[in-house]
Amino acid sequence: MDFSEQPHQTEIRDSLNKILSEHCSQECLKQYDSGFKHDEDLFSLLSGNGYLGLGINEKYGGSGEDLYDLGILFERLGYHAAPLSLSGCLVDVAQTIQKFNSDSSCNKILSSIIAGEIYTSAILEPSNQDPENPATSALIEGNELIISGTKYLSELASIAKNILVSVNSDEGVLLVLVKSDQVKLTELSSTANSPLFKVDLESVRVDRKSIIHEKGKGLEALRYLLQINMVMRSYFALGVNEKMTSLIASYTSEREQFGRVIGTFQAVSHRAANCFIDLECHRLVNQQASIKLNTNLDCENDALVSKIWAANTSHRTSYSAQHLHGGMGVDKDYVLWRYCLLAKECELINGSASQNIDRLGINITTNQ
Amino acid sequence: MLIELNPKQLKLRDELQEYFEGLFTPELKAELNLPEYFEGGGPEFKKAMRTMGSDGWIGLSWKKELGGKELSPIEQYIFVETIMRTGFPFPFLTTESVGPMIAEHGSEWAKEEIATKILKGEIIFGIGYSEPNSGTDLASLQTKAIKDNDGFLINGQKMWTSLANFSDYIWLATRTDFEVKNHKGISMFIVPTNDSGFSMSAINTLGDVRTNATFYDNIHVPDSHLVGKLNQGWSLITSQLNLERLALVNHGPVEELYKDVLKTAQATKINNDQYLSDLSWVKHNFAQIHSGIEALKLICWKQTWIMESGQLNMAEASVAKVYGSEFFIEAYRLMMEIIGELSILKNNSEFRILNARLERMYRTASILTFGGGTNEVQRDIIAMAGLLMPRTR
Repeated sequence: MDFSEQPHQTEIRDSLNKILSEHCSQECLKQYDSGFKHDEDLFSLLSGNGYLGLGINEKYGGSGEDLYDLGILFERLGYHAAPLSLSGCLVDVAQTIQKFNSDSSCNKILSSIIAGEIYTSAILEPSNQDPENPATSALIEGNELIISGTKYLSELASIAKNILVSVNSDEGVLLVLVKSDQVKLTELSSTANSPLFKVDLESVRVDRKSIIHEKGKGLEALRYLLQINMVMRSYFALGVNEKMTSLIASYTSEREQFGRVIGTFQAVSHRAANCFIDLECHRLVNQQASIKLNTNLDCENDALVSKIWAANTSHRTSYSAQHLHGGMGVDKDYVLWRYCLLAKECELINGSASQNIDRLGINITTNQ
Repeated sequence: MLIELNPKQLKLRDELQEYFEGLFTPELKAELNLPEYFEGGGPEFKKAMRTMGSDGWIGLSWKKELGGKELSPIEQYIFVETIMRTGFPFPFLTTESVGPMIAEHGSEWAKEEIATKILKGEIIFGIGYSEPNSGTDLASLQTKAIKDNDGFLINGQKMWTSLANFSDYIWLATRTDFEVKNHKGISMFIVPTNDSGFSMSAINTLGDVRTNATFYDNIHVPDSHLVGKLNQGWSLITSQLNLERLALVNHGPVEELYKDVLKTAQATKINNDQYLSDLSWVKHNFAQIHSGIEALKLICWKQTWIMESGQLNMAEASVAKVYGSEFFIEAYRLMMEIIGELSILKNNSEFRILNARLERMYRTASILTFGGGTNEVQRDIIAMAGLLMPRTR
C-alpha cells in the first residue's frame, strides 16, 4: 500500500502546473471561447518538453509506460481548463497501438506522436449506446477494407492526418487507421466549445495493413481503448473538479455578507465539505483504475466505477460551485464558468453515470 | 503508487479468516443470535475472548515491549475487517484503545493487574465519556473526581455506557479541575463496576442493542486508578480517535452483506424464466453499492497508509467517518430494496432472509452518523483542515 507519488511524478505535476498556468490565464483562455479550440503553441511546448511521451515506453522514445504519469497530464489539463483535447491522440491511438501492435509501424506512429504529430480517433456513434458494437462497417475485399458509417465527437479531426475508427466486419470488430482526407468532416458546436467533429465515411477504401492490431484481437483492443479512455477522461474531470472545489473554498473564505465571511456559515462550509468528500472518492477510484490498467488490459468494472464517480462528482461539484459563488459563478469575467461547462462534457462523454451504472450492474449480476 | 494488499498482508488475512472460522463454534453463533448477547458478554463470548487472548490475537496494536504484536495500521485494519465480517462483537475499544493507553500510561498496579488481563481476554471495559449534557461537546463533562488523602472520590452520571452491563471496569472521563478551560481539567480513571457506589439502568435502543446510563455515587478509588497525569486526560481521549473512527467505518461488514445479497438475488426465482438479479433496477442497486464500497475501501486503505507513514491528516480521517457512516445507511437501504418486503421480517420469523441481518443492520446503522464524533463536526473539520476555510461559527 503506497498512495504517494514518486518524485518524478511530483516533478511532472509541478512543471506542468508551471507551463499550463502561464498559458491558461483568463486572457489566454478567452481567445478559445469561440472558434477552433486548440492552442498550437502550448501543444508544441508540451511536445518539445516530452510531455506527449507520458505513458509511452522508453523504446519508442517515451518516458515509461506508467499510466499514472499520463493521468497526471490529463488531470492538469483539466485543472487549467487548457485548450487542448488530447485523449483521441495520446490515449486512444497511442496507448492502444502500444499495447496491441507489435510491428514496426507502431514505432513510427508512437515516435511521431511524441514529436507532435496529431492523430485522433472516431469511436462513438450517434444513437449507439454500445460502442463495443459499432454500426460503422467494413466490407473486406481481398487486401482492402471498404468502410462506411458515421462517427462523432472525434477530437481535432480537422488537423489530424490519421483517424482511428472502430468498425464491424466479417472478421469481427476491427480498429483501423484511415486518412482524414478520405472522410467528410463536419465541425460540431459543443457546450464547452471543444474541437469535436462528425466523421462521415462513405465507402472509404484502406489497405488491410491499416488495421492496428493482430488478427482476432479487435474486440479486445477496442475494449481496452474504451476503458483507458474512460479512465483518462476521468482524470481530466478530476482536475476540473479539483479546481472548482478550490474556487469554492477561496471564494467563500473571502466573500462577506451579514458582516461575516460566508464560509463561516455551516450551510456553506458543509456543502463545500461534501465537494471535498466527492473529490476524494473520485480521485481514489480513478487512481485504482489506472494502476490496475497498468498490468491488466481488461478492468472494465474499475473503469466504470471511475467513470461513475467522475460523472456524479462533476455534476454535483459544478452546481455546488455555481450556487456558492452566487452571481459570480455565472459571470464570464470570473474563472468558474468554463469549468462548469467542461464538467458537463466530462459527465456525459463515454456515457452518463446512469448508463454506466446499468453496465456495471449487468457485469456484477452476471459475475463478470 | 501501489493500491493493493501485499503478499504478507494477504497471508495475514487468510490466516485470520481460517482462525476465526475455527473460533466461531455453533454454540457461539447461537449465543450471538440472542438479543441479550448481540454485543457479547455471554459465556461463549467470554470463552472465545480467552481463547483469542491465549492464542495471541489480542493487543495487535500494542507496542511489543507492552506485550503486544505492534501490527501496522493496515494489518490492524485487516484484523478488524476479518473479524467484523464474521459478525463477532469484538471489544475493540477495550483491547485496542483503552488497553494500550493503560499499558503505556497506567500505574504499576494498572499495568500488571489490568493491562495483562486485557491481553488475556479476561477483562472488558465500558467507555464512560458522554453525559446527559455533554455529547458532541464532550469536554464540558461534569462528572467529578475530587482528590482526598489516599485517592479520589468520584460522583456523577454517564450516558450511553455501552457494554457496562457485562464490563469489569469503566474507562471514566472526569473533571478534576474546575478552574481551567474545559479540556484542560479532565482526568481518566479505571473504575470497578463491582463498587457499591456504581449502578446503572438499561437504555434499550431501536437496534435492540442495549446501552446504559451509569451512576457514580461516592466511589472511592486509590491513586493507582488514575491513568496518565492529573488533568491531562483529554489527550488520552483524543489520541486514538482516528483509529477508532476507522474501525467504525471498516468496509468489511457491508461488503460481506453485499456479497450475500448478490448470491441471494442470483438464486431467487421471480417467475419461470427470471431471477431477481435479472431485473434492471436490481442491477442498478448492486452497481451503486459496488461503486460506493470501492470508494470506502480505498478511503480506509489510504487512511491506514497515512497513519503508517506517521502523517496526521485530520481532513482525510473525517472524510472516512462521514462518507462511511452515510454510505452504510444508503447501502443498507439499496440492499433492503432488492430483498423487498421480505427484508422487514425479523430473525424469528418465517420467510426471513439472510438471518434477517438486513432487518437488524439498518436499525443499528444510524448511530454511526452521530456517534464517534458527529458528522456535522466532521464536516467542519473537513472544511477547515481540507479546504482551509475559516472556522464555522
